[in-house]
Amino acid sequence: MQLVYPYDFRLTEKEKTNICYLSFPDSYSGGLGDTQFSFRLRQSGGQRNTRFGEDGEYNTEAPLTLQRESAHYFGYVYFRQVKDSSMKRGYFQKSLVLVSRLPYVNLFQSLLQLIAPEYFDKLEPCLEAVCNEIDQWLPPVPGQTLNLPVMGIVIQVRIPSRVDKPGSSPLKQINQENLLPAPLVLPSVYELDLFRCFQPVLIHIQMLWELMLLGEPVVVMAPSPAISSEMVLALTSCLAPLKYCCDYRPYFTIHDSEFKEYTTRTQAPPNVVVGVTNPFFIKTLQHWPHLLRIGELKMSGDFPKQVKVKKLTKLKPLDTKPGIYTSYKTFLHKDKTLIKRLLKGIQRKRPSEVQSALLRRHLLELTQSFIIPLEHYIASLMPLQKAITPWKNPPQIRPFRQEDFMKTLEHAGPQLTCVLRGDWLGLYRRFFRSPNFDGWYRQRHKEMTQKLEALHLEAICEADIVAWMKDKSEVEIVDLVLKLREKLVRARCHHLPVKEETLQRGGLYIETIIGSLPEDLQAVLHHP
Amino acid sequence: KMKSSLMHLVPPVSRDRIISHFPKWYTPEACLQFKDHFHAQVRSACQQRNTGTVGLKISKVVVVGDLYVGKTSLINRFCKDSFDRDYKATIGVDFEIERFEIAGVPYNLQIWDTAGQEKFKCIASAYYRGAEVIITVFDLADIQTLDHTKQWLEDALRENEPGSSFIFLVGTKKDLVSGAACERTELDAIRFANEMQAEYWSVSAKTGENVKEFFSRVAALAFEQSMLKELEKSYGRMAQIGAGNLIRIEGNSLETPESNAQANCC
Repeated sequence: MQLVYPYDFRLTEKEKTNICYLSFPDSYSGGLGDTQFSFRLRQSGGQRNTRFGEDGEYNTEAPLTLQRESAHYFGYVYFRQVKDSSMKRGYFQKSLVLVSRLPYVNLFQSLLQLIAPEYFDKLEPCLEAVCNEIDQWLPPVPGQTLNLPVMGIVIQVRIPSRVDKPGSSPLKQINQENLLPAPLVLPSVYELDLFRCFQPVLIHIQMLWELMLLGEPVVVMAPSPAISSEMVLALTSCLAPLKYCCDYRPYFTIHDSEFKEYTTRTQAPPNVVVGVTNPFFIKTLQHWPHLLRIGELKMSGDFPKQVKVKKLTKLKPLDTKPGIYTSYKTFLHKDKTLIKRLLKGIQRKRPSEVQSALLRRHLLELTQSFIIPLEHYIASLMPLQKAITPWKNPPQIRPFRQEDFMKTLEHAGPQLTCVLRGDWLGLYRRFFRSPNFDGWYRQRHKEMTQKLEALHLEAICEADIVAWMKDKSEVEIVDLVLKLREKLVRARCHHLPVKEETLQRGGLYIETIIGSLPEDLQAVLHHP
Repeated sequence: KMKSSLMHLVPPVSRDRIISHFPKWYTPEACLQFKDHFHAQVRSACQQRNTGTVGLKISKVVVVGDLYVGKTSLINRFCKDSFDRDYKATIGVDFEIERFEIAGVPYNLQIWDTAGQEKFKCIASAYYRGAEVIITVFDLADIQTLDHTKQWLEDALRENEPGSSFIFLVGTKKDLVSGAACERTELDAIRFANEMQAEYWSVSAKTGENVKEFFSRVAALAFEQSMLKELEKSYGRMAQIGAGNLIRIEGNSLETPESNAQANCC
């Protein structure tokens, strides 16, 4: 590693080693020139404070899929390889890597496209200047359009928000907010050209979506880190707005510190999607249930050649042809109309963005059809508002019972919103065992608990405290003060959905109650 | 309709950024134009609110010159109305957006404050690209810095189309030199300015003398220029009615017809 900027950015030795290996193609790639790809690595060694204190706030407002990661880093790479006889190896080979906790693949890759060529040419001063500019960028706020000055231009991009209507085209929003005629406008911070990424596997979209939904272990073997990382990111993004909760590595090498963990045969393969380029992995990951082998894109006539589903026994370490090697049978049937529309689009030379939008909308509707019954059911587990009373602990959220949920499907199942036929029940049963269900359930449960706490706090603040205090002993009153205080602190720290007025009223209540107590006790309560 | 709704998103421009009369030059011996009013076409377009398809115009300004001549101080006096005695060298480039309202039309200056340090010279070219205004700055108390302005300008011009940028030559730290010394230096500076086809200004960031006037002049000239270009473009478009390329549906063709109509209506 030649240089880390800013100098005070601390990485452990393990992280440094991993970043170094992940920043270069790990098998011979004949291609000369510039290439860009991404990776994701596990943070090693303890919690580090993030630079922005407002992580909590950002993460509560950003879409779940764009939250700042606390245990992983993303690496965005710009790699250059050109012939240079003055170099020992006859080549100039260098990577500029941007490390961030944010999954803004489009923004950061566009940024690298601007910076890297200048950096290779002009070296450190370029990095110093650019980092100084980036330091002055405002932190991202969901729902806002950022104007980011860098290298003499202004990048304009909107940070999506959780309250955005799903599927609304970010392009359209940008048009309305585009106040400046000249900036580099990015249509999205993170969305890839899904159609381009999925070109060789368009007819298998249904299978890939199911594999992602179920958090199945998948190996993506591609001819280059650029193709592998785009494919992995495209795959994990196809569940949106549902968060893909398993680990994923857009690009992974044999030198990675998790290599042993992933390749061990003593345990079942982990729930990970890994993107690799080194054929050696076919041998070491032979026991994994699904391997997607993609080659350089081939055309047959106008159409991109589609890979075939093949038996795992056909895997040959040295000569593996493109294909999906799996014994998986999809729960739902393919959407043939989608495939027809996409193919027709190719024939008519429809722009890639439009094809991507089509594909994205299809996947969104599919995910929503799947998830809406679950959302309905979980909402029904919330206690009734009238069960929340000020002087009792808030009522419990009722437990999630899979069988109860299954019963709801008869009259309110995905068939209401989705034409796809197949074994939806089987798909739900399998989903319950996946980390994605677990992640979704925890998130909802947390939100509901917070909502309950907020409602409880509101109930307390609207109650007639003075009347309540009349026949209460001092001990009970002191207990109330302490509990209420704790609640107010929690409400602020956890950004509970409570109005500022309520919080202020709560504070006033505490003052009123304390004021009614004997003076010595007042002193104690004022200075805890 | 959409434009008016856009206006509500941003707070109003502060009063001292509202320009309704064309600001005057500093010295007639080195100035870019003598007119004391906006170009007739621009004036009528502004009155009719016929100011192009985009809600807001913006021009790029780059500020160049030797180390320690006071580029950052000049900008800070104007943008933040502050002056800091302590010197801190600019790292790479700083950036400010200053909002104006000129002849009733919102207008922004995007000001790129480049570093004077030698080590950053190599990266500067990227920042000079597409500059509508180039401000070359020197220190009235250090005549050598005036000599260097030609080189700075040459570097900045190399990255731009010939004749596409307004050029200003600014002498700073007027408060540090006596009236007589200032006049002597100004004579040299005006000669330089004429050779550079630049407009000349003497200012003091410390006292604020001429700073607001200078930037108002920059904004008005750049605004008029960019309006004229825009009008020329839209006349070009008008002339093509019937050629079948006036209405073009851009972007996502999956959008509903209403949204397309909306995007093209103004």
